[in-house]
Amino acid sequence: MSTEEFQYSHLSAQVFTSEIMARSGQDITSCYQCKRCAAGCPVAEQTDMVTPNRLIRMVILGDIEQALTNQLTWKCLFCHTCGTRCPNNIKTGRVADTLKKMALDAGLDPQNPEYKNFHKAFFNHSLRWGKINEIGMMGEYELRNIWDTMKKRKVRKIISHMKARSQFAWEMFRQKRLHLSFHSSKGRDEISRLYKKSAGRKWI
Amino acid sequence: MDLAYYPGCSLYQSAKLYNHQTNLVFERLGLHLQELDDWSCCGATSAGKINDFMAIALPARNLGIAEATNLPELVIPCAACYSRTKVAQKQLQDNPLLQNEINLELSRQTFGNIKVSSILEVLWREINGERFESIPLTKIEGLKAACYYGCMYTRFPYDVEVADNVENPQAMETVLKAIGVPTLDWNHKTLCCGASSVVYNTEAALDLMAKIMKDALARGANCLVVTCPMCQMNMESQQEKYCRKHGIKERMPVYFITELLGLAFGISREEIHPGGNLPPNGLEWSKMCGDSV
Repeated sequence: MSTEEFQYSHLSAQVFTSEIMARSGQDITSCYQCKRCAAGCPVAEQTDMVTPNRLIRMVILGDIEQALTNQLTWKCLFCHTCGTRCPNNIKTGRVADTLKKMALDAGLDPQNPEYKNFHKAFFNHSLRWGKINEIGMMGEYELRNIWDTMKKRKVRKIISHMKARSQFAWEMFRQKRLHLSFHSSKGRDEISRLYKKSAGRKWI
Repeated sequence: MDLAYYPGCSLYQSAKLYNHQTNLVFERLGLHLQELDDWSCCGATSAGKINDFMAIALPARNLGIAEATNLPELVIPCAACYSRTKVAQKQLQDNPLLQNEINLELSRQTFGNIKVSSILEVLWREINGERFESIPLTKIEGLKAACYYGCMYTRFPYDVEVADNVENPQAMETVLKAIGVPTLDWNHKTLCCGASSVVYNTEAALDLMAKIMKDALARGANCLVVTCPMCQMNMESQQEKYCRKHGIKERMPVYFITELLGLAFGISREEIHPGGNLPPNGLEWSKMCGDSV
């Protein structure tokens, strides 16, 4: 769980824990490690043994680096099995979500940059047009991916990725799921005014 | 009876069939769905990953439009939109300052007094009512359905009132029983299918879908019934992929609950699922559903 270099510091643990609690709205100090969340987590097999309860422990101990970069934080599907089973009603999914946001705010490169690209593309598209057009949204997502890979100068990866993606698109078309019609909402100015208001808010 | 209706983006795109079927089935039940005027995207799960404020503000706009219609209930068939809207409504109720701040920018303001319902809540209520009893039912033969609910129907990222049992929901079973389709008890009815992570974390999502499929098969199901457009898309469109990856030989159709209801209400197969037996071609199908591509 923790790296060897990790040194416990009371102050940083306290500050980190309170920031997570304020941003996620979850009282994580009430966790008594019963591991009901761990038993139900659908991605627990793929996270290097980091389960929701251990994630909470990491935060409480102030192991900031591990908390922001471990596998669970980035693989969490936000399915809320942990939250509904927790006897103390801690929604650990929201803790993981908060950690992701903090990592992105801090400019830490996520282990899975496609995650960030997908949600950014989705969010930007909904702000820009008021409705999601899947072709446009996926297009932006792919462009972001290509741009990220270009920066790392991995041309081969781009080609294999494009191949996989065009297969995906063809599959969607074949299954009558790809539509070329374009939708937008007239309330876009309301949405962009709201978006301006959201600037600089770390929590609601 | 009129109900306010928020279809959401995917019901105009990848899950257009669901929109088509929902309208047909509700019409048959004598419920008129009044689509919200100029609705916008609710942000789904993505808005909350980037911007907490917008994750509430986006659905707040739709809630405002819905309240302005003066209808008692807002029906949302898409599970992600339903969850997002319901949670945002509760968060606004709990946080009047935030509600004020968002309302300042809205032309139709929200005060949180419309009931937000999923399609299952409405159907569950309807099958005990007169309108349902007056419809002659056609028997659907040969189906053994595994009802798959997914995450969003019972589990929420905020404390809201849940309409069903969290771990073992029964709404779909009850509705299907009423139209004479046998259902099965099984383990993974609320397991996550991976949702949008199929795009950016494909392998992990495929493993989860295979888990769901295997359990449904082991119980002897021959079709999955869903209400979430994301689950339907994943379980159906990725079926070849996850079955091959995990050596599953069988394949099964993944129906929206509206498809089975439509068939039971005597709507023809061609009308409830246009082009279902035609060679697949997206463009043709778009036309059939009455939409210019």
